[in-house]
Amino acid sequence: MLKNEKIELKEFFELRKEVLQTWPTGQDVSIEEGMKFHRTIPEEKRFAWVMKKALQEGKLLLQPRAGVALIDDHIKLLRYLENEGQADLLPTTIDAYTRQNRYQEAEKGIEKSRQAGTSLLNGFPAVNYGVTGCRRVVESLSKPIQVRHGTPDARLLAEITLAAGFTSFEGGGISYNIPYAKRVSVEKSIRDWQYVDRLVGLYEENGVRINREPFGPLTGTLVPPCLSIAIGIIEGLLALKQGVKSITLGYGQGGNIIQDVAAIAAINQLAEEYFRQEEFDDYELTTVFHQWMGGFPEDEAKAFSVIALGAMVAKFSGAEKVIVKSPHEAMGIPTKEANAQGLRASRQAINMVEDQVIFDSEDLAEEVELIKKEVHCLIDKTYEMGAGDLALGTVAAFEAGVLDVPFAPSIYNHGKIIPMRDTEGFIRIFNKGNLPLTEEIMNYHHQRLMERARAEGRVISFEMVTDDIYAISKGKLVGRPK
Amino acid sequence: MSDKDTIILGVIGADCHSVGNKILELFFTSEGFKVVNLGVMVSQQEFVDTAIETNAKAILVSSLYGHGEIDCQGLRELCIEKGVDPIILYAGGNLVVGKTPFSVVEEKFKKMGFDRVFPPDVDLKQVANLLRKDIQEKFGQARQKEEERSL
Repeated sequence: MLKNEKIELKEFFELRKEVLQTWPTGQDVSIEEGMKFHRTIPEEKRFAWVMKKALQEGKLLLQPRAGVALIDDHIKLLRYLENEGQADLLPTTIDAYTRQNRYQEAEKGIEKSRQAGTSLLNGFPAVNYGVTGCRRVVESLSKPIQVRHGTPDARLLAEITLAAGFTSFEGGGISYNIPYAKRVSVEKSIRDWQYVDRLVGLYEENGVRINREPFGPLTGTLVPPCLSIAIGIIEGLLALKQGVKSITLGYGQGGNIIQDVAAIAAINQLAEEYFRQEEFDDYELTTVFHQWMGGFPEDEAKAFSVIALGAMVAKFSGAEKVIVKSPHEAMGIPTKEANAQGLRASRQAINMVEDQVIFDSEDLAEEVELIKKEVHCLIDKTYEMGAGDLALGTVAAFEAGVLDVPFAPSIYNHGKIIPMRDTEGFIRIFNKGNLPLTEEIMNYHHQRLMERARAEGRVISFEMVTDDIYAISKGKLVGRPK
Repeated sequence: MSDKDTIILGVIGADCHSVGNKILELFFTSEGFKVVNLGVMVSQQEFVDTAIETNAKAILVSSLYGHGEIDCQGLRELCIEKGVDPIILYAGGNLVVGKTPFSVVEEKFKKMGFDRVFPPDVDLKQVANLLRKDIQEKFGQARQKEEERSL
C-alpha cells in the first residue's frame, strides 16, 4: 500500500528485478559500477556541487533544453551548447515515446532518424541506448548534465541514466504525471517516483549525491503560483523521505514581474518551513526559474524579447538556475544555433542586471504573503486528507480537487479551476473549483479580476482566459479585447 | 436527429499538449459542429474507430511535439481499410521536428492523404469556414440523395 515511508531495501530490490526486465538494456545496469564511476567525476561536473556553489556565491546558472535521436548528433549538440552557448549546466531531454515507456516506438524512431539523416524524435531515447550509450554522452562533456523529461514511470530511465553518470534527474510523482499523462493514477506515479527517489537515496548513502528537481511549471499555462509551489514542496518532502539531499524547486515565469519575484521568495521560505517541520535539516535547497513556458511569438525578434525578460526576472528573483528558451520556441524543437542564441541573449540580460540592487516594494511583500497563505491552505489540507501521510493525502487531494492543475491532460485531475490575469498581468483565480482557499483570499482574487473587467468594459468570461493564453504569442501580456 | 456535422478532435501519438485541444473543442462547438473530443495521446485506431461509431465527417488531428510525421503516416490508409475513406482529414500544429518551411510540411502531409494542413498560428475562423466548405463538397451530394430517399 502507498505510504510516505522510506522503501525498505529488500522491497526495493524486489521491485528492481521487475523494473530492469521491462527492456533488454535494463540487464546491463549495475548500481555498484555506477557508483564507482560517479566517484571519478570531478566536483565541477557534479550537479549538486555546482548548484550549491551557485547558492553560496549568489550566481545564476544557465541551462538549455536539448535532445536528439542519434548519439553522435546528441553529443555534437551538447558540445555546441557548452562551447558556443556557454551553458553552465547541460540537459539531456528525453523523447516523448520513452516518456510513455514506448521503447519499441523509440527504436523505430532511431531507425527512421538514421535513414533520414536527421532526428525524427523530439529527444534522446536514453533507455534504448542503455548504460553504455549514455555513458558515452556523459564522458564527452565537461559540464554537469541532467536528465529532463516528463515520464510518469521513470524507474528504468533513472536506473540507466544514473548508473551511466548523469548527476541530476528532473521530475516527480505529480509534476511528471498530471501535465504529461492521460490515464496514470496519482497513486501509481507517486509510488514509482518513490522508487526513483529511493534509488537516489541509495546513491546518497554510498557517498554519491544526485540532484533532484521537481518540475515547477506544470502545464505552463496560467498556473497560479500557489499550486506550482505547493506541488513542488510536496514532491520535495516525498523525495527527502526517500533519502534525497539535494533538491532544486522550480517555478515557471508567469509574466508579472512582482508575482514572479515573489514566487521564488515564497518557495524558499515555505520549503524551509515545511522541510523543518518534518524534521529534515541536512538538505541542500536551491531554486530554478523557467523562462516563459506558454506560447511564444513566431517572430524571432519578439521571441528574443520574451527570453531576455525571463532572464532578467530570473536574476531579480534570486534563483540559482534559469532554464532558457530559444527563438524557435513557437516552431518546436530549435536548431543548435537557435538554442545557443537563446543562451547568449539570456547571458547578456543577466550580466546587465546582476550588479543592481534587487528591487523591493510593498507590493512584493504583499504578494509573498498572499502566496504563503494560499500554499498553507493547500498543503495543510493535503496533510489532513491523508491523516498526516503526505503520499495518501496527495492522492486524496487530487481525487477531491483540493489540488487541481489548470489545462492538464490527466483524467485524475479535476480541471475545474479557472485562472486568468488581472489588469496588471498577475495570474489570479476566478473559479477556485474545490481548492481549499479561504473566502478572504478569494475575495481578493475576485476584486482584482473585477478591476480588469471594468478596465476592459466586459464581464469576466472564459473568453478572457483564451485571450490570455494567446496574448504573449500575439505580442502582449494581458489578453485585452480587440 | 440533429443536423449538426460531427467532427473528431484529438492530439495524436504520445503527445500530451492539452491546452490547444481544450480551446479547439470550445471553438468548434461554438461554430455549430458536433464535436467528439478524444483529448491527448490518441492512436490512429482510436480516431478511426470513433469515426465509424459517430459517422463523423472529419478528423482534425493535432500534433505539437514534433513526432507528427511518424504518428500520422498510414492514417489515410487505415481510413480506406476500415471503409471511412471519404472522411476529411486535417492536420495542424508543429507537425515536424524543428523549424521547417510550412510549404514543405504541407506537401509532406498532403502526400500522406491529409486534405488540409495548418500551421500553429492559423486563424481558427478560417479553418471552420474551410471545413464547412469541404463537408459541403464531399458530403453535400450524398446528403441530398439521402434526404430525397427519406422523402
